[in-house]
Amino acid sequence: MKFFSALAKRPFLLIVLLIALVGIFGFSIARSAQLETNLSEYMPKNHPSFIFSSEAEETFGIGDAILIVLEDPQGIYNTATFEKLDAMTYSLLNDFAEIEDVTSIVVADSISSDDGFLEIEPFYAGDPSQEALDAIQESVAKNPMIAGRIVSNDGSATLLIVEPSAGSDTKTLQKELQQWITKWEGPQTIRIAGRPVVEGSLAQLGPKDMAIMFPLVVVSMIILLFILLRSVRDTVINMIIVLLGTLAAFGTMTLLKVPIYAVDTMIPVMLIAIGVAYGIHMHNAIHHLLLNNPTISKEKLAQESLKQMIRPIVMTALTTAIGFVSLMSSEVLPVRYFGLFSAIGVITEMILALLLFPATIYLLGVPTYRKKIDIKDEPRFASGLYRLTAQYPMWIIVVAALVLGVGIWGASKVWIDTSFLANFSKSSAIVETDHFVNEKFGGTSTLNVILAGEEEDLFKNPEVLQTMDELQLELEAEVVVGNTLSLATFIKQMNQVMEEYTPDTYHIPNSQELISQYLLLYEFSGDPKTLEQVIDYEYETANITVQLKSDSSAELKHVLEIVDSYKPLFEEFGITVGFAGSGYKAFVFSELLLKGQIISLLISFGIIFLLLTAIFRNWWVGLVGTIPIAITAVVNFAVMGILNIPLSSATALISSIAVGIGVDYAIHFLEHYRNERLVGRTQKEATLETLSNTGRAIFFNAIAVMGGFFVLLFSVFPPNRQVGGLIVVNMAVSATATLTVLVVLIHVLEKRNLILSNKIDTNMVQTKE
Amino acid sequence: MYKRTRIIVMTVVLLVSSLSLISAGALGADDVMWEVYNRDSGDTMSATLTMTLTNAKGASRTRSIVQYRKNGDGLERKLMFFLTPNDVKNTSFLSISYEDGRGDDQFIYLPALKRVKRIASDSKSESFMGSDFTYDDMGSRHPDLDVHTILRRENVNGMVTIVVQSEAKGNSEYPKTISWIVDGKWVGVKKEFYDKDGTLAKRLSIDEIKQVEGIYVIGDMTMTNLIKRTSTRIQMDDVLFNVDLEDRFFSERQMQIGPRR
Repeated sequence: MKFFSALAKRPFLLIVLLIALVGIFGFSIARSAQLETNLSEYMPKNHPSFIFSSEAEETFGIGDAILIVLEDPQGIYNTATFEKLDAMTYSLLNDFAEIEDVTSIVVADSISSDDGFLEIEPFYAGDPSQEALDAIQESVAKNPMIAGRIVSNDGSATLLIVEPSAGSDTKTLQKELQQWITKWEGPQTIRIAGRPVVEGSLAQLGPKDMAIMFPLVVVSMIILLFILLRSVRDTVINMIIVLLGTLAAFGTMTLLKVPIYAVDTMIPVMLIAIGVAYGIHMHNAIHHLLLNNPTISKEKLAQESLKQMIRPIVMTALTTAIGFVSLMSSEVLPVRYFGLFSAIGVITEMILALLLFPATIYLLGVPTYRKKIDIKDEPRFASGLYRLTAQYPMWIIVVAALVLGVGIWGASKVWIDTSFLANFSKSSAIVETDHFVNEKFGGTSTLNVILAGEEEDLFKNPEVLQTMDELQLELEAEVVVGNTLSLATFIKQMNQVMEEYTPDTYHIPNSQELISQYLLLYEFSGDPKTLEQVIDYEYETANITVQLKSDSSAELKHVLEIVDSYKPLFEEFGITVGFAGSGYKAFVFSELLLKGQIISLLISFGIIFLLLTAIFRNWWVGLVGTIPIAITAVVNFAVMGILNIPLSSATALISSIAVGIGVDYAIHFLEHYRNERLVGRTQKEATLETLSNTGRAIFFNAIAVMGGFFVLLFSVFPPNRQVGGLIVVNMAVSATATLTVLVVLIHVLEKRNLILSNKIDTNMVQTKE
Repeated sequence: MYKRTRIIVMTVVLLVSSLSLISAGALGADDVMWEVYNRDSGDTMSATLTMTLTNAKGASRTRSIVQYRKNGDGLERKLMFFLTPNDVKNTSFLSISYEDGRGDDQFIYLPALKRVKRIASDSKSESFMGSDFTYDDMGSRHPDLDVHTILRRENVNGMVTIVVQSEAKGNSEYPKTISWIVDGKWVGVKKEFYDKDGTLAKRLSIDEIKQVEGIYVIGDMTMTNLIKRTSTRIQMDDVLFNVDLEDRFFSERQMQIGPRR
């Protein structure tokens, strides 16, 4: 208190301090802020799943390929197209240092066998005559390793599979390739797909969209704040608070050399939604002091407003900050940082709100509001609310209970999903190409099933290979699975070829000798590199590549369950089943993230209950105070469930806003109401006063934030739309629940003498004396 | 027109030429390479080979093979049988190369399949049995395919060697190679392969040269691929020259019967 009033009395010093801070933070951000887009940087590297996956990725050279799709509506088997494919493959291999290898129909090897004659040679030997191409078409059709994988079954499209070299920057490479494909366009259509492309575009699109939308959010909030507060000065102070809070969060982040992660784009969203409340409550207190005493001196006004608001604002800020700090329990590094720096932002906003309002009063004098508030008009809002709560308490309880019931039902429909592709609008080129590839080929997403044994040559055992084949057949029966590839696939194909396509030879032979001899032959004359992608050198560990037509984690989970059901079968051979690949890692990561956020949400409920109980020294208050927050959280999840918005890292964080804001409302309301009661007002008077004072601030706060984030609904980026929509819902529910349900519940508690009873009684006695 | 010694054999079998009496000092680079190329290697030969393949992670696979060779009538016949590992035992491989330049005839027999298959495969730069050696490395490359320059003379393990640089006239995976040839013996002891960027890609080191019936035989050699970080070691034992091998020994029938002994 002393610190705030002392500094507020020296507005010029304060201005200098603020400018210095803006300078330091601004400079630091401008110099070193960089968005971390490499997903593996987000991952907890010492998590067992990640260690396992990384090892397998190294053994089998598992990486995310970039897919270049060439489509020729007349079919790809014509001279011009093959010459182009040949030139493209050559250019990819020679003109890009970051490309390790390229697989395409012009470099793929064909194994065929006729009349005792075994042929292993490239499909395309450089002869683009129609005759030679017809022969290629025929042999491709017979080869399940090529048909449906590299060339579409209808022969209208083909893939060039680009493998970036280990450790290369795939985001830059995919950008270069996006440019590169344009010069090969026409008459064939050439498109680009694959995880690096999706991730790369996402890393650009999200922040880019936020950069456009964020100023719009700020502008619409400024307009709303001005309309609500009727003061340029207070609007400006409010915006300074939230923007400096954001600046402080990112400034300390860059000063401490913490990279900015994608989740952190939610920090400004949080800090605006929460920070505006502090300013509005300060404004509200000053406003009411002026209403009650229009001739108040500027010193008195500054002192009084600070004295009145320091306790609730500090309490609300601290509870919110504690909520954020509880995210530090997360296993995921970016979430920990998110919590820490959001807390720093919140504390900064609190300090600024407590400093800037008194300081401007010292500097500019007592504020005059542009339009005098109609005294008669003002309580109409409060009295309306009071009448509602006083006359229909049961209705409010019933409606609240109904909302909770429907909410819990809706929330049960929330599904966890972290699809990268879901972030793009359905009509975007990226989604269309993805659909095309998924329709014509195996799929754009990959899961690697890693079978790890302990015995040399284990994977030459026919029983092991047959079990793998069974698993693969079961997986391929799923709509989402395009195809699978493993050592078993190789052996089946080899068997079919060596048996010269005798019917029913596309299976694993029963003899380990034969399998070994096939493999020996393959090593001799085939491409041993291809084999290295499915089996390790000692034949102890195998990799089944499962191509998926969707990158949705919900779909992936289903596939993982099927694989898991084979665990006991593989265990009989001493084989453990694991998973690898970036898709799987992203899945584990999102599960960790969500688990952490759900736990921290539950922890925050506990903390809030304890804090409210401690602040108001009554555990009934603690209980009642958490109810509006619980309603908000439930409705938040219900809206997600009903509108089919999947729970992802961004949407899960929004529930923390519900908590952060809900607790602020509860504290402000309860504090004000208790103070009114303690000075001897009746329940009705205190309720009316609290509703017209704190209630007004809560209402303004909700309207300003809702109005601001409503703008996000017009974003082109679906996740930003979801964030905007959910914040609007959260603010509306939180404010409504506080101003209705909480009021009714307090009245109920008072009626039953569960709160305030003894204090008020003594007070009453004192006033009577 | 180069000699079609598509040597499936692992052998680089070397015979001291009678011409070796001539001092190399008087020879140009081409002459040196011709000396190497023209060494007699015996009309027939049999040997046991042990091939150890090591991958980038240091894991290795060992295979042993018995091999028979016969030269004559303008062709070279070779027949190989796998001895170990057990599950590929008696898998056999037959190749017939023609000096007139016709493509090789190659056959493989998988005992578990009980069928001989003819193989069509025709690239000398292909890996030899999945090893770091190419078919080209296993045979001798015709001197006319390259432009040769003597770089210097160098002492290697107490032997005087002539260091010859060979640059391919046509397209080649390794446009430049450098060989260390022992003066007078016309045996290589070391060879370096440079790729198109001019970086050293492969290195062959010959660690044992033995003499059998007056013919120089490489008893132990290792090819290291510096790019892939893999290596292949080939050891040769039980070398016999001028063994009695009928033409019909190199047949599909023999492939199915198995090795001698």
